[in-house]
Amino acid sequence: AALKDWLRSQVSAALKEGRVTPTELCQRCLALIKSTKFLNAYITVTEETALKQAEESEERYKRGQPLGILDGIPIAVKDNFSTAGIETTCASNMLKGYISPYNATVVQKLLDQGAVLLGKTNLDEFAMGSGSTDGVFGPVRNPWSYSKQYKEKSVPKSHSEDKESNWVITGGSSGGSAAAVSSFTCFAALGSDTGGSTRNPAAHCGVVGLKPTYGLISRHGLIPLVNSMDVPGILTRCVDDAAVLLGSLAGHDPKDSTTIQDDFKPFELPNLTDVSKLSIGIPKEYHAPGLSSEILALWSKAADLFKNAGAKVVEVSLPHTRYSIVCYHVLCTAEVASNMARFDGLEYGHRSDVKDSTESMYAATRREGFNDVVRGRILSGNYFLLKENYEKYFVKAQKVRRLIANDFVKVFRSGVDILLTPTTLSDAAPYTEFIQEDNRTRSAQDDILTQAANMAGLPAINVPTALSERGLPVGLQFIGRSFQEKQLLTVAKWFEKQVQFPVIELEEVKRHDNDVFQHQKSASFS
Amino acid sequence: VLNRRCVEAAVMTGLALHCHINKKSLFDRKHYFYADLPAGYQITQQRVPIAVNGSLSYSLCIGNKMSQMVTKTVRIKQIQLEQDSGKSLHDDTRSQTLVDLNRAGVGLMELVMEPDMCCGEEAAAAVRELQLILQTLGSSQAVMAEGQLRVDANVSVHHPGEPYGVRTEVKNINSIRFLAKAVDYEIQRQIKELGNGGTILNETRAFDSKLGCTVPMRDKEGKQDYRFMPEPNLPPLILYDAKSLPANMNHQQVINIDWIHERLPDLPSVKREKLVEQYGILPEHSFTLLNENGLAEFFESVVKQTQMKPKKVIGWILNDLLSYLKQHSLTVKESPVSSFLLADLLNLLEKKEISSTAAKQVLAELWKGEGKTPLETVKEQKLELLQDQKELEQICQAVIDGQENEVIVMVLG
Repeated sequence: AALKDWLRSQVSAALKEGRVTPTELCQRCLALIKSTKFLNAYITVTEETALKQAEESEERYKRGQPLGILDGIPIAVKDNFSTAGIETTCASNMLKGYISPYNATVVQKLLDQGAVLLGKTNLDEFAMGSGSTDGVFGPVRNPWSYSKQYKEKSVPKSHSEDKESNWVITGGSSGGSAAAVSSFTCFAALGSDTGGSTRNPAAHCGVVGLKPTYGLISRHGLIPLVNSMDVPGILTRCVDDAAVLLGSLAGHDPKDSTTIQDDFKPFELPNLTDVSKLSIGIPKEYHAPGLSSEILALWSKAADLFKNAGAKVVEVSLPHTRYSIVCYHVLCTAEVASNMARFDGLEYGHRSDVKDSTESMYAATRREGFNDVVRGRILSGNYFLLKENYEKYFVKAQKVRRLIANDFVKVFRSGVDILLTPTTLSDAAPYTEFIQEDNRTRSAQDDILTQAANMAGLPAINVPTALSERGLPVGLQFIGRSFQEKQLLTVAKWFEKQVQFPVIELEEVKRHDNDVFQHQKSASFS
Repeated sequence: VLNRRCVEAAVMTGLALHCHINKKSLFDRKHYFYADLPAGYQITQQRVPIAVNGSLSYSLCIGNKMSQMVTKTVRIKQIQLEQDSGKSLHDDTRSQTLVDLNRAGVGLMELVMEPDMCCGEEAAAAVRELQLILQTLGSSQAVMAEGQLRVDANVSVHHPGEPYGVRTEVKNINSIRFLAKAVDYEIQRQIKELGNGGTILNETRAFDSKLGCTVPMRDKEGKQDYRFMPEPNLPPLILYDAKSLPANMNHQQVINIDWIHERLPDLPSVKREKLVEQYGILPEHSFTLLNENGLAEFFESVVKQTQMKPKKVIGWILNDLLSYLKQHSLTVKESPVSSFLLADLLNLLEKKEISSTAAKQVLAELWKGEGKTPLETVKEQKLELLQDQKELEQICQAVIDGQENEVIVMVLG
């Protein structure tokens, strides 16, 4: 049986038929989490509650009344989603020890369908970053650093070099979630995507990363970074799974006034065979400076793949692309400055011992609680929001944002169905190399291919495509029309089938051998 | 998430005050740090508020006579929806501040008036009328002492013909009486200050009700830049009227201004007119009736149950009943004398079974609330008017006989 069917014929079926129980599944995942601890993908592992949820799921299966396709399926959630009774830290000192009193809507939806929550995953502090390296719990390591594929290709610089020194980053900011899915410790994970934070690590970790249309999935309970761009992101091992997750999460939430009112109908993805009616756009501006020749070649190959299959492939232009990074930074930092204002140490989270006055307590709390990246963005954001700067920066950036969004509208109106672009500029960098530049520089570089979709609110997905010369995953991105996730995922699924991205070969997973995992490991997409 | 009831209240109030209702209004974040502002910003409507350009008419008595009333108008600049902050309680003895966040986030309606009033009396009258309007609409109970209606007064002085002077904002006003006092004090203070060659600072002052004066408030930090930003979580508020309402809209999701307009209750000014017209009472009577919660209803109820003409009933209501209530600090609802009882009593008077002096005595007795009917009281105290002429003559004769000297004195003098 094929990996792509794991939810339906594989694990879901296995659960239904009693070939494996939710408790066994949960225990296996928990054990794997323990043995892959060096990845630092999880901040909190909720062993007790997970096992309890698994038990309850088991009861339901015994009675023949599972809640649905996700009943008993282990999942992980990025640590910037509120989870009732479970610590939510956003990888920051500011929220260390903070226990949320409620579940984010998306978390609640998953739990209501019987999913088993394994834990909260690691990220860049407050989701600011593109490496998952700047959280207080330390960086996340890309599981591919320990893969056979990577090890074979890497040339050890010295005989005594061990796996400690040339591990590569996951990308960010949802690196923990991407690593968790990539290393088989869970079957799906929630991330968030503001400028690419789900798609970027998905590309580096070789998993599917879906950024849904803004307004489709509720942000209630997602600790906000940029309210007008944040979306919950979905990370899975195949496109079909992403569609299933999307189906269980999308829809209007009265608690989030930015979700659309229209009814959402979950869909099953058709197996597309004929792409001749499809028009794929290749935006020329996405041939960005710094794009590796490898990825460029892969992008080109992918375009040819569509062409040879009969699709119409056209070069298009999104002329305002080059302004998007700057525009993004202005709007992002402005909203960040606003959203971070609530962290004053009074009601929850870290509070400084400084007591001389309210102001000094606030200042000390915020200096102690936030890292440099966060503080930097707050300062910038406040600068842009000053009365004398508001028109020059904030309003201007909003106008540019409108132009960027219009670029997409024009292109889609001209008959193009889907855009095909690279997701990242290169494969994952070694950690030691990545930290040579600061967070701001890295973000500016890495976000360039992903953040326009956030500015325009469009759905976008990373599909793992091939391994680089260094043996690391490279993904390509598809961007679709607003609320046309079905079309987007259908095309993505077709592409996934064509490229047959290899399964990661991890020692730790080999050791946790059992039927289910054996099937999972075997690579072929049939 | 926007509270529908708040929007409806704002639209009703805007319509009652003859405002233009903005079919599209926007929400903004106003940023500042303070212990009672948990989010670090307040959601308000700085750019485009929900209603603008209205007016409020109110009446003032000229001089001391209630009978000379004048109608004045104050323009309403705008009505905006915003969030309330929490409450800070400063405990200086322990050098700590206690923060109560229970009301943080609750919806508020802020009404901004133009500087069209000239003294404490006008301000008080305007606010009183506003209070009545809000209570009639149901937008708010508007009790100042409970913080349901908060009033900040902006006061400035200038010579006629010259531009308006620098204004100060006076806060911490907890009643309509104090409002008048605070405004008048501040006017005098400014006049004095300028007279001494000083200047008025654009500052916030607090009204000290014990001392009857205004004092500068703790300065928050000089000039504040609130770094206004559109509120990203609240889409623009769109209101519809009968013309613009789309056909397939789920009526739970929309607010129709015309629908609300049709259902507005009678405003105080209309109610007063009706009372005057229907019962033939004086305009100043209608003011007093509406000024006391429940009094107008009580009056109407008595009128229904008695043959006495309303013009006479009103005297009993405004002079006797009301003064009893005031003396004992009771509300109309708490009156030991119900409208039924009073009507009963007035009927006795009307049928000439008792004199009006006797009636007052009976009322005093009824006030004790011992459950006796007027008739019982009359019988008890032998207050019946004697209808029999002969009996009367006998009594008078007896008195005269007993008081011969006095009688002579009287006849002569």
